[in-house]
Amino acid sequence: MTGVPVVPLQESLLPESLNISFKLLPSILVLGMLGLFLAIGFVFRVADTENMWVAGRSIGNVENGMAIGANWMSAASYLGMAASIALAGFYGLVFVVGWTTGYFILLIFLAAQLRRFGKYTAPDFVGDRFNSDTARAIAAVTTFLIGFVYAIGQAKGMALVGLYVFGDFGFLLPGLDGYQVMVIFMMTITVGYLTLSGMLGATKNQAVQYVILITAFLVGLFVVGYTNGYSTVLPQMEYGMLIDDLGSEFSEPFATSSYYLWIATTFSLIVGTCGLPHVLVRFYTVESERTARWSTVWGLFFICLLYWSAPAFAAFGTDLYSTNVRATYGDPGMASAASEVIVVLAAQLSNLPQWFVGFVAAGGIAAAIATVAGLFIAGSSAISHDIYTNIVNEDATQREQILVGRLAIVALGVLTTLAALDPASSIAALVGYAFALAGSVLFPMFFIGMWWENANRQGALAGMTTGLVGWSIPMINEIVPTYMSSLEAPLSAGLAQWMPAIGSALITLPIVFAVTIVVSLLTDEPDMETKRVVRQCHSPEPMGQHKTAEDVVADGGNAPADD
Amino acid sequence: MPDNNTHDSTDKRAETDGGVAGQAGQAHRDTDYLSSEVNIINPSTPFMRDHLRVVWTGFIIWVIAVWGPVTLTYLATDAMTTQMPVLGFPLHYFLVAFGAPTSALILSFWYSRKRDALDEKYGIDHTTIEETGHGSEAAATDGGVDQ
Repeated sequence: MTGVPVVPLQESLLPESLNISFKLLPSILVLGMLGLFLAIGFVFRVADTENMWVAGRSIGNVENGMAIGANWMSAASYLGMAASIALAGFYGLVFVVGWTTGYFILLIFLAAQLRRFGKYTAPDFVGDRFNSDTARAIAAVTTFLIGFVYAIGQAKGMALVGLYVFGDFGFLLPGLDGYQVMVIFMMTITVGYLTLSGMLGATKNQAVQYVILITAFLVGLFVVGYTNGYSTVLPQMEYGMLIDDLGSEFSEPFATSSYYLWIATTFSLIVGTCGLPHVLVRFYTVESERTARWSTVWGLFFICLLYWSAPAFAAFGTDLYSTNVRATYGDPGMASAASEVIVVLAAQLSNLPQWFVGFVAAGGIAAAIATVAGLFIAGSSAISHDIYTNIVNEDATQREQILVGRLAIVALGVLTTLAALDPASSIAALVGYAFALAGSVLFPMFFIGMWWENANRQGALAGMTTGLVGWSIPMINEIVPTYMSSLEAPLSAGLAQWMPAIGSALITLPIVFAVTIVVSLLTDEPDMETKRVVRQCHSPEPMGQHKTAEDVVADGGNAPADD
Repeated sequence: MPDNNTHDSTDKRAETDGGVAGQAGQAHRDTDYLSSEVNIINPSTPFMRDHLRVVWTGFIIWVIAVWGPVTLTYLATDAMTTQMPVLGFPLHYFLVAFGAPTSALILSFWYSRKRDALDEKYGIDHTTIEETGHGSEAAATDGGVDQ
């Protein structure tokens, strides 16, 4: 099977070399941090949908940049990426490339146009652009599914780090081990604060969470590098000297994966970046289209701060593990559960004070919570706004919408918790599946819908269906069997090689594009109203903060046309 | 908000005729964006032609920066895996782990600057909108900024 290093079997979910015990200072630190999130969520709690979904369209450049960063950098960035780099070597770098460079595509093709479109949710765009409640529903279900798949990785990350801080509480709930109890505890807290605060609270929180996570990660890296003599002032560059000593597994190209898998995975992660609903919706929350652009630049800079550093952390962690525990590569090598906490492990193996290791661990929890917040808001707004209010009950009051939104957050929380009790893959791989889905279904609709006014309803429906089916094939081939003891994954090795679950968008995306375009050409063009909305999204004329392209076309459209 | 005067181009034309921008600004004022087709392959307005030139230039550089080093590593493994002087990185590792994300960041900065320059060239001003948030007030302040 391809991509073996990032899809290891879960032999044990307790990372063996991690010091799992209750620790007072780290516990106070983490609980204090969680309390702060709840307090911020409470202070900025909301009672109306405009604030709940798009934060009143009031967010500025740097703040939105930080929110983009925190929203983005999840447990997969904080923990999973260093884990993949340590275990999969050069292939692990696909995450560094795939999770940063996509922002440029988002910026040049979608960010400002999305701000001008200016609705509430990602499915809003699909539903309104293609005038179809079915398309809206497919997009909403996809959004929900993405939130679910993506959040499993986050729950896993939070729980693994929680084990270091709080210890093994496996005895509390019969039948569950310490890891599983921690999943339930962490998810309860996340869901609690989200149901209170909605998007405004989430945005305010995300800026705080960004500061915590980036500080913890960078300070952790500097201290680990300095105390072990690896680096002085610029560990992001100085780890280069170390690479030669780590064994060829760390840097040899295509040793653990093929060139094809490398390309497929990066491609899938990049187009996924541009199709993730919780990323796209960040552009609805800003005050203007210029802010949409510059906050993307800020966001990418904030993201790069961590992504330049993660390979260094992986290198230090790998060396520390080889020195203190056992050889990282070969048999038995580093266990996958240990690699998933290598960032925390590196701090622990450097004999740093407990409170400091706890601080690094707290950063991982902040990263995971911030992303789950973004995902669950996107997922719950898809249910509440797009399915309930737009399709089921058009007269829903604000109160009812908020209630349905909160119920959806709880439902997502319960589903995620259950799936995270026995996750099928590593953190980074789990998140990768969500990217393949976003890149197969949502990105093509946004791209074609925004850049070709003749794309129509039939094209979108055919394209999205194709995308969903295309994404499901490798998932059924590789992932579903791991949940069934009678089957062995993958069902077809050949399919797994050419259409890997983590990189399936490389195959599905061109097919979805072709299907959408051909079907659109064969059927009637969309009506003039829709085309004018698309044109308004591209017009360079400035527009008001609370206007959507649709408003402009509806009430202001006649005047310029008469000139 | 009663209506959206920012798109009332007759209004604007009266105030800006003194000319912030030259030909491009004139072309912008003469363009009715709601009647011009949107098609990424075949841009219909001068603004979109200029914008897409920037977009495609950036896109091509981006493709080379993202997949170039990996492809070269695949084709010429020995040359690409040699150790770099001073830094100690194998070349391919450095170009991928550091080069690709940094290129995307620099390109993003470059694009946003270019896009702002385009706004200036076409005499488009966002600041009034950002400050007031109301189309009706923006129309009144347009004149002030243009002088």
